[in-house]
Amino acid sequence: MTATAQNVLSDTGATARSSHPGKPRETLTGWGFIAPFGILFILFMLVPIFWGIYLSFTNQSLTGAGGDFIGVANYAEALGDPDMWRSMLNTVWFTILSTVPLVVIALALALLVNTGLPGQWLWRLSFFMPYLLASTVVSLIWVWLYNPQLGLFNAILGWFGVDPVTWLQDPDLAMLSVVVTTVWWTIGFNFLLYLAALQNIPDTQYEAASLDGAGPWRTLFSITIPQLGPTTAMVIVLQLLASLKVFDQIYQMTGGGPAGTTRSAIQYIFESGFTGFRFGYSSAISYIFFILIIIVSVIQFRITARRSA
Amino acid sequence: MTRSRPGGPALSRRRMLAGTAALLGGAFAAPALTGCTAAGAASGITNLSYWHLLSGGDGITMATLVAEVEKELGDLAVDQTVLAWGAPYYTKLAMAAAGGRAPDIAIMHASRVTGWAPGGLLDPWDLDLLAEFDITEDTFKPRIWEKGFTDGKLYSVALDSHPFIMFFNTEVADDAGVLASDGKLIETSTPDEFLDMALEMQKVTGQHGLSWGYLNDGAQLWRLFYTFYKQHGADMVLETGKPAQFDEDAAIESLEYMTKLVDGTVAAKNSDINNGIAEFAGGKSGLLFSGVWELRTMQDAGIPFDATTIPTLFGTPAVYADSHAFVLPHQSNPDETKRRAAYEFMSTLLKDSIEWAGAGHIPAYLPVIEDPAYDDLIPQAHYANAADLINYDPPAWFTGSGSDFQNYFLDAIQGVMLGGTTPEAGFSSFIARINTLLSKPNPVTV
Repeated sequence: MTATAQNVLSDTGATARSSHPGKPRETLTGWGFIAPFGILFILFMLVPIFWGIYLSFTNQSLTGAGGDFIGVANYAEALGDPDMWRSMLNTVWFTILSTVPLVVIALALALLVNTGLPGQWLWRLSFFMPYLLASTVVSLIWVWLYNPQLGLFNAILGWFGVDPVTWLQDPDLAMLSVVVTTVWWTIGFNFLLYLAALQNIPDTQYEAASLDGAGPWRTLFSITIPQLGPTTAMVIVLQLLASLKVFDQIYQMTGGGPAGTTRSAIQYIFESGFTGFRFGYSSAISYIFFILIIIVSVIQFRITARRSA
Repeated sequence: MTRSRPGGPALSRRRMLAGTAALLGGAFAAPALTGCTAAGAASGITNLSYWHLLSGGDGITMATLVAEVEKELGDLAVDQTVLAWGAPYYTKLAMAAAGGRAPDIAIMHASRVTGWAPGGLLDPWDLDLLAEFDITEDTFKPRIWEKGFTDGKLYSVALDSHPFIMFFNTEVADDAGVLASDGKLIETSTPDEFLDMALEMQKVTGQHGLSWGYLNDGAQLWRLFYTFYKQHGADMVLETGKPAQFDEDAAIESLEYMTKLVDGTVAAKNSDINNGIAEFAGGKSGLLFSGVWELRTMQDAGIPFDATTIPTLFGTPAVYADSHAFVLPHQSNPDETKRRAAYEFMSTLLKDSIEWAGAGHIPAYLPVIEDPAYDDLIPQAHYANAADLINYDPPAWFTGSGSDFQNYFLDAIQGVMLGGTTPEAGFSSFIARINTLLSKPNPVTV
């Protein structure tokens, strides 16, 4: 549409307006409609992205000092920085730990609700409601639940004579505890996507299956799950990207501790740039992280593309 | 003297509207903001923007003080901006100052000023102008006054010092037989004596002798550690380009003693400070290690208590503390009228700071604590000696209250307290982290 309008303009010059009434104006209107988004996109996405690439080659400080071009020194330092690798690995570990249950459990919940349990709205509401909470609220609630002295979980364990567990302070448990919180908090979204997809599977297929004598398990594996394929692919992509970006709940629940075992990549970027003042270095880490995300996405697309081909 | 100075009209409202417009219209409305600062009709009111990180009880006290100062001066309108303690406050203040459009006056922790001053984020105070407003070297304790200097220039003027102290429940102490006839705790001068005293109190409460908390709280962990560490007479020197200099034996002994305290009887094994505060306020323990800022909470709890500095257990009297201090965040084009107003505002507030003592803090301005009225404040007067013994964080660009330094300490030492790591291993991993920071160029100045 844009191309046509431009051709028209260049072909007929100034007469375009009269010979094709409305077309340039339409183009203008079109641009007008996307302008609010376009301007914000340029200001807050494109400019920062390219500015960030530039910063990553400088020793720019948050205080305004520095700003000298230092080549790839930041990247070299980052690649040799154990804290950076650790935060990347933590992020990947969190992503693996959280994505699997967030897909599998969401599917299980959706299937259960879709079997026609009475009080569907109640199930839907209770599985989805946590998703509506702000991360701060979720973190506060769960920090109390996990509290070693007064928390609910340790109180329950106490009834069975189990010693208090330091859920968020034990290096072996902290990440798992955060994952449990995250699953509880965000499962509602995947659950809803699955539920909608389930309700879109035509009844005729189930009728045909039952006429052929397929039992419930056979139906599940031969009809329901294959029919959910595209949804599963989408849920996994969205979930991977969401999990890789984890920051809020970790920052609020453990602050990245204990001993850095839950510090995520985004948190390390934040810390090196905003509290550590090193904007240049922080930009370099964020581009390394960006590359990591691209790699994950490409692998993901390859797999789904092959499956659907 | 400055009463008739020309000031802007009620700018705050206009400024707020302009700010809102800027928010709504993205960056396009930004030029409107600069238009405001130059305005100057003759209503005689000067508007001062003032940022601080005092919330809760401290925030209320500060608001009262500001209102009093406004009333006293008559021609000053102060816009307070209160931001959350710690990283959120400091990142915003740093960015405002880096952009040269910072508030007219702000509060920082004195321990953070060392990191900021060399980077040009702060403008120095003019000693002559301060003297004009009765603020001079001899109106402060030496340790507090000197803390404001970097490279020979004064960058911060302290409002208070807020040491890490010990609260004690007088009733529990009395029942445990550890209250001396003058109403103070019996003297304990060795680590074991202190443990014995806490255990006696534990017998009375049946729960714990001492309340303290450290879970996910690098600040609490560091404050107690540094108190004991400095009581060894030890120093910690952090210089960019050199490895950290420290006294390892003192550090290990301090950490070992801290683990002895959190044995589940003397103090809870794994508690955060809120549990500790709740425990002490509920009369379930005899002692509490925390900052003076918990004073109001304890008064509201209605328990019989007093407070004192943490006993000297390792030979040298030492107290960990920090100060809330006034700074002039860097402005590219400071308005002379406002600068002067900032001096006057601070001076008046310091002179009224007896009220600030109500929140537990020790006012830094000497005429206030030398006033007999201060001696009537109990228990504040009982720990006023802390002002002579205070130790700030070792100076470095990354240390101070609410800094990552305390998080690094938490990362390394929490495992020691929980029992999974030895003090030696924990402390050496902390030092390794610090040495990495010291090996890189200081990013404040680059």
